[in-house]
Amino acid sequence: MDKELEHQFVTNLEQNQNIVHKICRIYTNDQAAHNDLFQEISIQLWKAYPKFRGDAKFSTWMYRVALNTAITLYRKKKRGIQTIDYDSVHFRIKAEEYDGEAEKQLTLLYSAVKELNDIDKALVFLYLEDKNYKEISETLGISEVNARVKMNRVKTKLKKILNP
Amino acid sequence: MDELEILKKDWKKQGENYPRLSYEEISKMIWKRSSSIVKWIFVISILEFLFWAILNIFLADEAYWKEMELINLKEFTIVVYIVGYAITFYFIWQFYRNYIKISSTDDSATLMKNILKTRKTVKYYIGYVIISTAVTSLVYLYFTFNYHIKNAVPEEAASYEFDFNQWLLFIGMTTIVILIFLGIIWLFYRLLYGILLKRLSKNYKELMKLQV
Repeated sequence: MDKELEHQFVTNLEQNQNIVHKICRIYTNDQAAHNDLFQEISIQLWKAYPKFRGDAKFSTWMYRVALNTAITLYRKKKRGIQTIDYDSVHFRIKAEEYDGEAEKQLTLLYSAVKELNDIDKALVFLYLEDKNYKEISETLGISEVNARVKMNRVKTKLKKILNP
Repeated sequence: MDELEILKKDWKKQGENYPRLSYEEISKMIWKRSSSIVKWIFVISILEFLFWAILNIFLADEAYWKEMELINLKEFTIVVYIVGYAITFYFIWQFYRNYIKISSTDDSATLMKNILKTRKTVKYYIGYVIISTAVTSLVYLYFTFNYHIKNAVPEEAASYEFDFNQWLLFIGMTTIVILIFLGIIWLFYRLLYGILLKRLSKNYKELMKLQV
């Protein structure tokens, strides 16, 4: 692979790295796993990059490859214990207005999302990213109707986790 | 307010709070080794092949070949080696192709197809190892046994003669030993590839959920 291609790719990824970080945030529980997944996604993106033809936006293409990696190709370490990493909580408290009640609710919400399965996490992620159903359906390779139905189910599931 | 809306608000606020990697860090990262499941199946198959090949080189010394010649199995052994290596190479090649083919850019339907294919290859491979071990050990057993019958000293031969019950016992025992041996091999491969396959099949099920 030539240097030019590599330079192009790394520049693109550097500019859009937030997308990957956000996916890692949804799919992992601690910093080590976050870094691991970030690396795996970067490698998969790089492996797939020669096939990226530029007819889609780099970021759109990234969503698909990165989510596919997180859902299917990544070998997760023990996923038994669901804990919220101290760091990730801490990292959020930096938000400007500190409000105990709202903060507590958010922590609960995030841990509820962590309990969803990989596919549902992908749906939540795309939703949080403000993608419309058309984009969600394209990224995940399902029909728009299916995406809508799934999204509603995820909402129900979240409600159930939060109010058992 | 909808739970997800609350999350979305916070999610957007978090926008700039993420770590930022530099160009150099990312550039280094993409050359690191990937850890995806299919790659490990490929790597393990090569390691395993090397393990058996090296073991063979150490075990098959001159004395071994003489012994084989004695019981008329030299040609058979050579053929078994060649065929065995050829088939193993074929499987390594298949594992490699699976590794190349499974790519994260595929849509979920293609991914599912490739995951199924990888699982199938591994299952065929384990099946091949077990069946070939069973067949070759039976052949060796038969020839070794035959050789000893033919070469037994006549005076002593009478005391070696088996009656029907002893034969039954002998065959029964051999079968059990071979079955235990095969069981161990099967267990070994189940453990070796099972862990990886399990994860793959879990991914497959999640992809299935997406399709329904």
